[in-house]
Amino acid sequence: MEEAKHAASIALENVTYRYSIGTPFEKAALQNISLQFEGGIITGLMGHTGSGKSTIAQLLNGLLQPTEGKVTIDGKDIWEDPKKISQIRFRVGLVFQYPEYQLFEETVLRDIAYGPGNMGLPQEEIQRRVADAAKFTGITPDMLEKSPFELSGGQKRRVAIAGVMAMDPEILVLDEPAAGLDPRGRKEILGGIRAYQREKKNTIIIISHSMEDMAIYADKLMVLDHGHVSRYGTAHDIFCHAEDLKRVGLSRPQITKFIMELQKAGIPVESGIYTVDDAYHEVLRVFGEKERG
Amino acid sequence: MLKDITLGQYFPGNSVLHKLDPRMKIFLIIIYIVTIFAANNPLSFVLVLASAFVLMLISKIPAKLILRGLKAVFFIMAFTAVINIFWTSGEHLLLDLGIVKIYMEGITYAVFMIVRVISLIIGTSVLLTYTTSPIALTDGLERVLAPLKVLHIPVHEFSMMMTIALRFIPTLIEETDKIISAQKARGADFNSGNLMQRAKALIPVMVPLFVSAFHRADELAIAMECRCYRGGEGRTRMTQLHYQSQDIVMLIVMLSFMAVVIALNFIF
Repeated sequence: MEEAKHAASIALENVTYRYSIGTPFEKAALQNISLQFEGGIITGLMGHTGSGKSTIAQLLNGLLQPTEGKVTIDGKDIWEDPKKISQIRFRVGLVFQYPEYQLFEETVLRDIAYGPGNMGLPQEEIQRRVADAAKFTGITPDMLEKSPFELSGGQKRRVAIAGVMAMDPEILVLDEPAAGLDPRGRKEILGGIRAYQREKKNTIIIISHSMEDMAIYADKLMVLDHGHVSRYGTAHDIFCHAEDLKRVGLSRPQITKFIMELQKAGIPVESGIYTVDDAYHEVLRVFGEKERG
Repeated sequence: MLKDITLGQYFPGNSVLHKLDPRMKIFLIIIYIVTIFAANNPLSFVLVLASAFVLMLISKIPAKLILRGLKAVFFIMAFTAVINIFWTSGEHLLLDLGIVKIYMEGITYAVFMIVRVISLIIGTSVLLTYTTSPIALTDGLERVLAPLKVLHIPVHEFSMMMTIALRFIPTLIEETDKIISAQKARGADFNSGNLMQRAKALIPVMVPLFVSAFHRADELAIAMECRCYRGGEGRTRMTQLHYQSQDIVMLIVMLSFMAVVIALNFIF
């Protein structure tokens, strides 16, 4: 029996985080940052290397405790009762960068079941969740019986993501889930995450460098610069401000640049195109018209 | 947490101790250790302890860092002290608890032992580990042990293994931290349950750690192969070691120090 789920939103309120406090190596990773991730959508969190993205990921599920400020889910401070922080980790799933290195079980099935097992769920519920997570990550039934160490890099990545998905968190944070994969692998993993979000209607945050990917798979984009939010909005809102993006070390998707070059060359294509698919249709439309006319 | 381990970590600097020849430092350490264990009267122990702190000052390494290293062996020190207090017998009985008797000698020995351990740790870490880069250290060790090649002991291979091991300690610590975080995110609980349950909870950390360590070893072997590494035979070095005047001065100082401490033994 599925009850109608409320999609949780998660926020940082005036958070400062310092590393190695009390040693000569002390350093502020985040300085008084406030931001909110809306519930029920996929948000793409972008920023250059060292902008504090990965620190934010670990703050969101309570692996790191803010030096100052609060992390709140639906307005409630997650550190209100530090003893219950492991409960927060069940509500906020976190998939680390290169998560394939965390696999350890004898079979893929048992590895995916590790998280749900730690939650103390009944056996049949665990099986149901494993099957569900396997579906979204494209893990076939024969793969479930294999050792995770027999799989290819891309397959391991799916298993690791499935392991967190199977915990069915209200909020799922993924740190560069497609890093180092070929275009097809990227498409399958990000597509799977999107299909999962559309069915579960939960809150997903994807940390990524890739403008191309985020333009396709994220509903909203958030751009970080030097520890604060420099822009937040839809792909269209963000990519309108090219100078802004350049300043924070990111750039528009290549296909958008290509379309603008076409415009400059006097070809009447529409601006505001961020994906190769859209560009394909637009170019066909323009040139098709020409041929007809 | 894991990052706070400082035992055996190089701390870059510019002191005299940093500039000494690594071979000389190895000889100095041996002399120093002999001196520490030769000391057997209060005055020489005061000298030994003082020398450890003098070395610490010369090295310009923050005392905080060294004291943190001492904290790691606190348990060993406490254990040695307790054993010495209860198990040493002598002439001056202080306290008679029936089964155990505490003698003045026991307490003296306990204090001596603690001074020994403290000087040993401060002295060796300041003379060698904190002030010598791992590369220089193994290089020096290889040179010092070179005569053993006559006995067909693979000195070069051993020193290469040591270099690699030292090089990978920080990497593996970082890796462990990362895996622990990842498993915590999947609900792993390392801090509750009995001993058995806690040991079991470590499996999800140990397995990935071993897998990645073997993987790294493989990659490193291939990378070395690609750069035509063929062992020590006929291999030349970028930096040649030469003894400087400061090395000789330090050797003379250290030898005189040993002579003084041993002489004190005869006087008392």
